[in-house]
Amino acid sequence: MQEPELHDLSDDSDYAASQLQQQQELKSMSRTDSGKKGGDNEPDGAEIVFVKDNVTIHPTQFASERISGRLRLIKHGALLFMTWIPYKEKTDCTAQSSSSNTKLSERDRNLYTIRAVPVTDIRSIRRHTPTFGWQYLIIVLSSGLAFPPLYFYNGGVREFLATLKQHVFLVRSADDANVFLVNDFQDPLQRSLSSLELPRAVSISNSSSTPTLASSAAQNDNSERTDDGSSSISQYGGRHGQKVHDPARDLSIQVLEKFSLVTKFARETTTHLLREIQNDGFLANDTKKQSQPLTNDNHETGLDDAQTVPNEISVTPDPLENTLCRKENHFKEAATRVGTFELVDSKEFDKLTLVWGQPRQPPLGSEEWATFLDAEGRILDSKSLRKRIFYGGLEHQIRNEVWKFLLGYHEYDSTYAEREYLASVKKADYETLKSQWQSISPAQARRFTKFRERKGLIEKDVVRTDRSASFYDGDDNPNVTLLRNILLTYSFYNFDLGYCQGMSDLLSPILFVMKDESESFWCFVSLMERLGPNFNRDQNGMHSQLFALSKLVELLDSPLHNYFRQNDCLNYFFCFRWVLIQFKREFDYEKMMRLWEVLWTHYLSEHFHLYVCVAILKKHRAKIMGEQMDFDTLLKFINELSGHIDLDVTLRDAEALCVCAGENGAACIPPGTPASLPIETELLYPLQDENDV
Amino acid sequence: MSYAYLFKYIIIGDTGVGKSCLLLQFTDKRFQPVHDLTIGVEFGARMITIDNKPIKLQIWDTAGQESFRSITRSYYRGAAGALLVYDITRRETFNHLASWLEDARQHANANMTIMLIGNKCDLAHRRAVSTEEGEQFAKEHGLIFMEASAKTAQNVEEAFISTAATIYKKIQDGVFDVSNESYGIKVGYGGIPGPSGGRDGSASQAGGCCS
Ligand SMILES: Nc1nc2c(ncn2[C@@H]2O[C@H](COP(=O)(O)OP(=O)(O)OP(=O)(O)O)[C@@H](O)[C@H]2O)c(=O)[nH]1
Ligand SMILES: [Mg+2]
Repeated sequence: MQEPELHDLSDDSDYAASQLQQQQELKSMSRTDSGKKGGDNEPDGAEIVFVKDNVTIHPTQFASERISGRLRLIKHGALLFMTWIPYKEKTDCTAQSSSSNTKLSERDRNLYTIRAVPVTDIRSIRRHTPTFGWQYLIIVLSSGLAFPPLYFYNGGVREFLATLKQHVFLVRSADDANVFLVNDFQDPLQRSLSSLELPRAVSISNSSSTPTLASSAAQNDNSERTDDGSSSISQYGGRHGQKVHDPARDLSIQVLEKFSLVTKFARETTTHLLREIQNDGFLANDTKKQSQPLTNDNHETGLDDAQTVPNEISVTPDPLENTLCRKENHFKEAATRVGTFELVDSKEFDKLTLVWGQPRQPPLGSEEWATFLDAEGRILDSKSLRKRIFYGGLEHQIRNEVWKFLLGYHEYDSTYAEREYLASVKKADYETLKSQWQSISPAQARRFTKFRERKGLIEKDVVRTDRSASFYDGDDNPNVTLLRNILLTYSFYNFDLGYCQGMSDLLSPILFVMKDESESFWCFVSLMERLGPNFNRDQNGMHSQLFALSKLVELLDSPLHNYFRQNDCLNYFFCFRWVLIQFKREFDYEKMMRLWEVLWTHYLSEHFHLYVCVAILKKHRAKIMGEQMDFDTLLKFINELSGHIDLDVTLRDAEALCVCAGENGAACIPPGTPASLPIETELLYPLQDENDV
Repeated sequence: MSYAYLFKYIIIGDTGVGKSCLLLQFTDKRFQPVHDLTIGVEFGARMITIDNKPIKLQIWDTAGQESFRSITRSYYRGAAGALLVYDITRRETFNHLASWLEDARQHANANMTIMLIGNKCDLAHRRAVSTEEGEQFAKEHGLIFMEASAKTAQNVEEAFISTAATIYKKIQDGVFDVSNESYGIKVGYGGIPGPSGGRDGSASQAGGCCS
């Protein structure tokens, strides 16, 4: 096993800090033991059986942002605990380490601290040995939560596992040599993992051994047999042997890894709430009192390291986090039951949510919006702006201004003056284009069939677009005329694409927000830069969207995908309207505008609308499969969801799915699938890029 | 609500001929001038009575635009009846009938009953297709024919119901094996089992899918 040392640690502030920290901690450790509440814990029962420094997590996707700390295994009586305590930031000596930790606050450190997790709470450990870079482990708890990957900058993965093995029942998965199962074979491990679409990632023996030292003989027996790879003891062995190189399985494993990010979301939720509570003055600064293991286990161990890292703000175990975990587990069980057994109570599952996405924020208002602009009107940090809108949307009165940026009509780094100038130029351009069709005389039109057809079609459709909205209702509504003018002008601006049904649905909200004819036109042009291919006569844009959608469902919910396949629903035509007009008809006007601005941020993915589709489908998977819907029934069911979709929940689910899918999700989507932008292709997951070789 | 039979209908024809208005007139008995153009498909349903038997019509109102055809074709499957609609004030919608029919013949089951409807007959002063031409086309292609108006409701009930009556007669005559749902017919309570028999109608569940 190689431990590549690509990183010279001598000039690393983390490393320097660790040297200091180590001494301090050793001292405080003993202090803690004797000075702690005492009484209920044997003061000197703790024995450190493993220590490794520079074990690091990367809380964001950027390799430069990392938190290093010390990983320990501590034996306390008959119990073994794992802790990972980040080093205290040495603000005074970070100079030579350029980017490390600069963006990570003290709070982040605390967020990720692992305080005395009983090893019995660990369900499995996955080892990752990338060709380049550091080995890392992903530790999955029985609750289903996973810690972020722990990177062993100084090596030590093998020793860690070896030490663990001396103390707990650790067995290598017969199917994947890099997955180590910890503890009780009887727990619902296999169930939950299979719900991650990992049907074969973890195979376990049928043995009823318990993880007590007393039965170690039996355990050794097991692990030996699985170690030699013959898989003979596994009841699933035969199947596994053939599927070793199943690419779908590899994907599934990577999905599991993405789940480690989920923890981060759950935690951010907690911090978010915590911050709110603090703001309300409930939590003052009495942090020591609040310090409890994040994992919320009930073991009062006396090993709480809160005091060894002074000044830290402790994260109170939030009841919500438990709810999060519980719901998550429910979801998994539901998923499993659907996959394996008959549905018992589909109603109950309908209520369940994938609640991993961040809670929605209030919409961005004009005051906060002003803070994004510099004196000349440039948006300095477009990414934060897009992130903010992604999580909260916009208050209606600033949509008019902000949509122009989101749609790409205005450049983020343009000034007020530049935009004003652009508006006047564009207005003149618009008038020129408009005059092209306005100048066609009736006599000329008689010899211009294509024009007559287009004009006729547009005129038929604008009177059938949102006429129940007051902005467009009544006879001879001037706004309906504006719709017509803009669409007709667009069909001259882009004569090849022309006019196609669905476009009026896309233009209607833009005009409603912009009011101005020319600006609405140019915003519509920008939108069509992204969505235009959906309207190709041969429907190739839509077909590639629906194809990508089917790939995403296959990745994120293979039982549902299989169900669709068996029931001749793989064309995903039932999602046609969702995609073509971006859920325009599935929500009320306000909600639809909210969704659109979220989609337009292209924050997590420019194909976020596809994850929204998956989120809605997943939400109803139990009903769809439980009622054995055929294509017709499904189509009708999906149609009738209109007006009954909870936007906030859907967005959170879609966010979680998008994060889980990571670049595997992105890989599902063929290049050129509409909504993709030529500009600003940023690497969202450089970390995975580096390591998932 | 229980039914003896459930028939699946589709409404097809060029965009703007009034398919959605016909459906709305039939299901809600009103002319709704401010509804939206159809993207993909929309659904409607109504109970009717034929030969004292309650029959549920489940109606699929499809989008007419040419470029949506590759999608809308998938809706033909398993339809027992089709209303093929043109607009008597727009000649081109009549000229396109042949291509609609071709689609229907290719993608629907062969025994589907097709009703040809010349809509907007309230606009007689703007007529561009004569009644005779409509009749002639229907005769040539073995379709039932009616001129109708979604606006005045003229012949709307009749169009939907006589289509159902034709389908019903075909069932009586044993043209369909009604236990085979690909014919777009579901047997509910009181309906006769198909030739292959074996099914009493007690499994009737409006809208449910029992197979
Ligand atoms: N005068 C008159 N107008 C009608 C009649 N039926 C429909 N219309 C009008 O024709 C237009 C199109 O009607 P729709 O029912 O929306 O047409 P459609 O066939 O559903 O069109 P697509 O959904 O695009 O395929 C509407 O503006 C109606 O007001 C009718 O019987 N008489
Ligand atoms: Mg329609």
